[in-house]
Amino acid sequence: MKELFGETFASKDTGKTFANTIKEEVASYKAASGIPVDDEEDTVIDSDGRQERAKEKERKKERHRKRRRNVARRASSARKEGKELEDRPEREERRGRKKRDKEGKGKGKGGEDERQEEVKNDTVAKIQKNFSNENTRKLEQKEIEVVIEEDGDTEGKRKNGHSKKDEKKEDNGRGEKVEKKQKKRRVETSSEHESSEEEEDEEEKEGEEKPEVLSPEELEKLKEEVDERKKLISTLRGKPWPMRKKLLTLRESHEFVEKYEGALGKGKSRKLYAYKVMMLKKWMKFQRDFENFKTACVPWEMKIKEIESHFGSSVASYFIFLRWMYGINMILFGLTFGLVMVPEALMGRPYGSMPRKTVPRADEANAMDFAVLWDFGGYAQYSVLFYGYYNSQRAIGWLKFRMPLSYFLVGVGTVAYSYMVVIRTMARNANEDGGGDNNNFNFSWKMFTSWDYLIGNPETADNKFASITTSFKEAILEEQESRKDDNIHLTRFLRVLANFLVLCCLAGSGYLIYFVVRRSQKFALEGLESHSWWERNEVNMVMSLLGMFCPMLFDVISALENYHPRIALQWQLGRIFALFLGNLYTFIIALMDEINLKREEEEVLKLNMTMWEASLYNGTLGANSTAPPITVHPADIPRGPCWETMVGQEFVRLIVSDTMTTYITLLIGDFLRAVLVRFLNYCWCWDLEAGFPSYSEFDVSGNVLGLIFNQGMIWMGAFYAPCLPALNVLRLHVSMYLQCWAVMCCNVPQERVFKASGSNNFYMAMLLVILFLSTLPAIYTIVTIPPSFDCGPFSGKSRMFDVIQETLESDFPAWFGKVFSYASNPGLVLPFLLLMVLAIYYLQSTSKSYKQANLELKKKLQTQNEENKKKTKIAALKAAMDLEEAQNARSEAPRQQRNNNASQQSYREDREKKGEEHRTHQGKSDHQIPPSATSPPAPRGHRIPGPLPGNQRQPAPSVQRVPNSQRH
Amino acid sequence: MVSGAIALAFLPLVLTFIIRYRYYFVLFYRAVLVRMWYDCKTGLSREERAFQYVLTHAIPGDPESILETFDLWCNKVEFISNIGPKKGKIMDRMLSEHCPLTVLELGSHCGYSTVRIARALPLGARLYSVEMDARNAAIAEKIIRLAGFDDDTVELIVSPSDEVIPRLRADYGLELLDFVFMDHWKKCYRPDLQALEGSGLLGKGSVVLADNVLFPGAPNFLRHVRKSGLYEWKIHRATLEYSKGIRDGMAELVYQGIK
Repeated sequence: MKELFGETFASKDTGKTFANTIKEEVASYKAASGIPVDDEEDTVIDSDGRQERAKEKERKKERHRKRRRNVARRASSARKEGKELEDRPEREERRGRKKRDKEGKGKGKGGEDERQEEVKNDTVAKIQKNFSNENTRKLEQKEIEVVIEEDGDTEGKRKNGHSKKDEKKEDNGRGEKVEKKQKKRRVETSSEHESSEEEEDEEEKEGEEKPEVLSPEELEKLKEEVDERKKLISTLRGKPWPMRKKLLTLRESHEFVEKYEGALGKGKSRKLYAYKVMMLKKWMKFQRDFENFKTACVPWEMKIKEIESHFGSSVASYFIFLRWMYGINMILFGLTFGLVMVPEALMGRPYGSMPRKTVPRADEANAMDFAVLWDFGGYAQYSVLFYGYYNSQRAIGWLKFRMPLSYFLVGVGTVAYSYMVVIRTMARNANEDGGGDNNNFNFSWKMFTSWDYLIGNPETADNKFASITTSFKEAILEEQESRKDDNIHLTRFLRVLANFLVLCCLAGSGYLIYFVVRRSQKFALEGLESHSWWERNEVNMVMSLLGMFCPMLFDVISALENYHPRIALQWQLGRIFALFLGNLYTFIIALMDEINLKREEEEVLKLNMTMWEASLYNGTLGANSTAPPITVHPADIPRGPCWETMVGQEFVRLIVSDTMTTYITLLIGDFLRAVLVRFLNYCWCWDLEAGFPSYSEFDVSGNVLGLIFNQGMIWMGAFYAPCLPALNVLRLHVSMYLQCWAVMCCNVPQERVFKASGSNNFYMAMLLVILFLSTLPAIYTIVTIPPSFDCGPFSGKSRMFDVIQETLESDFPAWFGKVFSYASNPGLVLPFLLLMVLAIYYLQSTSKSYKQANLELKKKLQTQNEENKKKTKIAALKAAMDLEEAQNARSEAPRQQRNNNASQQSYREDREKKGEEHRTHQGKSDHQIPPSATSPPAPRGHRIPGPLPGNQRQPAPSVQRVPNSQRH
Repeated sequence: MVSGAIALAFLPLVLTFIIRYRYYFVLFYRAVLVRMWYDCKTGLSREERAFQYVLTHAIPGDPESILETFDLWCNKVEFISNIGPKKGKIMDRMLSEHCPLTVLELGSHCGYSTVRIARALPLGARLYSVEMDARNAAIAEKIIRLAGFDDDTVELIVSPSDEVIPRLRADYGLELLDFVFMDHWKKCYRPDLQALEGSGLLGKGSVVLADNVLFPGAPNFLRHVRKSGLYEWKIHRATLEYSKGIRDGMAELVYQGIK
């Protein structure tokens, strides 16, 4: 390229001055910057710059000439444009590379992209360079052409004569030849031409006296060549070459294109491009890192991905659900912790200041025992963890924090928030479904689009490989499932039978729980101390045991039904749901009974309390009337049973025991089993891994339901035990790690891996139901049962929600209360509700119709597609038939000829006889039947040469053909 | 003490186990309980009872009929761990594919598999059947002769397999084993295979077929096969003989030699 620019430059001034100055400049520059001579790029840039400067000088010299000035202006404006244009493509570059590739002078359309993928960033950079260079080169050419035109007009006037035409005229002989030679060589030797080029460069440098010319034609040629290279690059994929040759060619072509495009481009911009490309690279790298960072920020993302790749999406869906649940619980925890527990602990009255905040005297001795604390009695009971600890003081601390109001609002807010989140998630999931089936070309999608090209980590690649394999398994299974048809009557019978068995199970377990609860009430009446530990904990034990074993039984029974695993999972979920619900509600009913008992106790105590107080005052007042008021230590004051704390305690205990059961089953059922199977296998008489105990599978349905019911209990109990969300967060956190570990270490993937598409919404629906069912009892207790008289933030009020009214009256202006009372008038509320229902109905129906329309559109598109396909098929068929016909017609001729040859001898006599007549016929018949006027010529290598397209009327063969064809 | 309600809560677990592992319970009943019962009742060993049944019900000289009678007895009356008809078919196919001339059978038990192999052998082939237990060997001998195979075709060696294998070359003049069938003690699979490798009787292309590698299972054997790299191997998955729900497999190894 150096030589090229050197030439153009040299051609521009034949006078020594200019060339010399430039030479000197170049040399000095090189000397100054210490660039080796063969360092091409820099020199090129440099020479470019020089060239421009030189032009400027020229222009100054010839400014007196109008024309020249015009030209110069044009040229410079063109150059400015060029710069702008150079910038523009860059901007465009970012917008979309594809677009330009398509424009890109007959480059392959898709090829470019593929290549980019192949060579990635480097290539991107190259392309950008190429691109900009192309633009600049074009501009340059234009400019040159303009100059030429102008020069052509003003040939006589010119002094310096730096136009090309002149130049050419002057050195018409040798320089031209040399150039052409070079070109030829360049064309011929693609692999070695760089080196040779360089050599030539050197030669050129040394012998710069022989003026070299780069004419526009040659530029054109070069451009063509570059284009050719580009084309080659884009079509390289399809070439039937060995890979090594392809790679070699690709590299060479890239180098060539880069070099010469750069050569045709302009100087300064190159540096700029290099800089910009570098920045772009860095930016892309930064973006990638940022993406990585973002995924790293999503908690447990990598773990879940790993599990998904090994165990399929159904197991992963559980973990995703768990993570989602964790998020919800974090917010619930934040609410209760920040707005209820912390303010009370910091600003409320300290421990020991009131009876409700003090451990009673009777329990003080063992209030710190582990067993008591584990049961959430003792000091744990009289702390911020439970409802009873909170004071009914309206505003606490210097902030005037409205504690009771806050308590109430947080209780309502957590439930409201949960509703909102669940419903929003459900709606979003439903949106993602999009309606209709997306099962078209399922396998093609999987086959061609599965791989993630951004994977750079071998382990991740392994995981991706595993996940693609599993997804294929899933898809194949689904396909099989959809094509299966069995004995339908037998299946139906078996399904009914299975459901019957499950119902029996449910009824049995329900009765067992009922029985146990009744018995425990009896025990409670008799006094718990007289019974053993087993009997005292019977309810909890039975419930958790049933909750653990019944799903296993259901699982075994569901093998009868022969459903697709996903459907089987849903059935299983439904059944376990029913079981758990039964358990939960029996528990709640038992709790209700207990609440009633406590309330009776409370009534009795209220009476006793007044008597106690009276006796206290009577005893002391008599002695000394002026004595200071008697101070009784708060631990000694008798107090009510506080049913709210009791409920909270029950829930907390249930959660803890549930968690323990889960972890212990995990450790024993999965881990210990896995260890035994693994290590006993060395010395066992049968294969433990493949045979009887084997490793366990991950129980998606049981785990999901455990999670959901756990959450239900949290929602139910959180009002009475503000510590519950905190506990749950802890539990979820631990179980995330524990289960992730357990799955990866001791479970085997299910034999029938299946896709969990849509099961997320199923979980959500169940969660919604549970949410509803668990808020029911909570709301019932809040609304109907009066709060205890001596504990909790609502003590002293007849109902818990009175706190709102109180706030309205005392904290808000009077008009607000009025407005509120008007607004809560049934006459206003009812129409509003009605309006809402109508709006919901309307939105529902519109969304349905939209969905329908969507489906229709999809169908339409599909049919259109099919139609198009048919059309093209028909066209292709037609073309093929035409071709065949033509071929037939063509092959007719040789066959007939062969026939002729065979029958030549037998008919020779005939021919001899009719010799004369034939000859007369020949002319006519040939005109009548042009044998293959339209068909392409037959292959030349054939034994009997087919008629050449030009001269079909070959005299010799047609002599015999015509009569034979007539005869046959 | 533990209350009855808690005990009742374990009922689903028990039911689950019974349903899930019913085939194993059935197998236990048939292979152990019924056998003990008949042992006490008749005073004969199980193999002798089987032989009596075969003798009275099968057509002498017809291997087909003898095999069928065996299958019938094992299905209906008692359980003997023969190779069984289903896996037997796989073996038949392999025999007809390979046409082995020298066959070694380890563990002939009461001769079922010996008859099965012998009837599928090409003319001039010879089968060496090794049985450790003398009483079983006597019955196997009778069954083999009943099926009509003479000493030239089937040679019964009454000796433990680990003693026989080193002597095969010297005492029996064997150069190469084309086909080895293993159905004796599962624990002996690996040592015997290693002994075979050591004796040099396995040549390239020799087939080793091992029954019951999944149930009762021979994990050590499989591990050895996997690790040694001497074999091309695959497992034919099937169910345990005369039983539906228990999974079992036969390992087919083709000796490749050291590469």
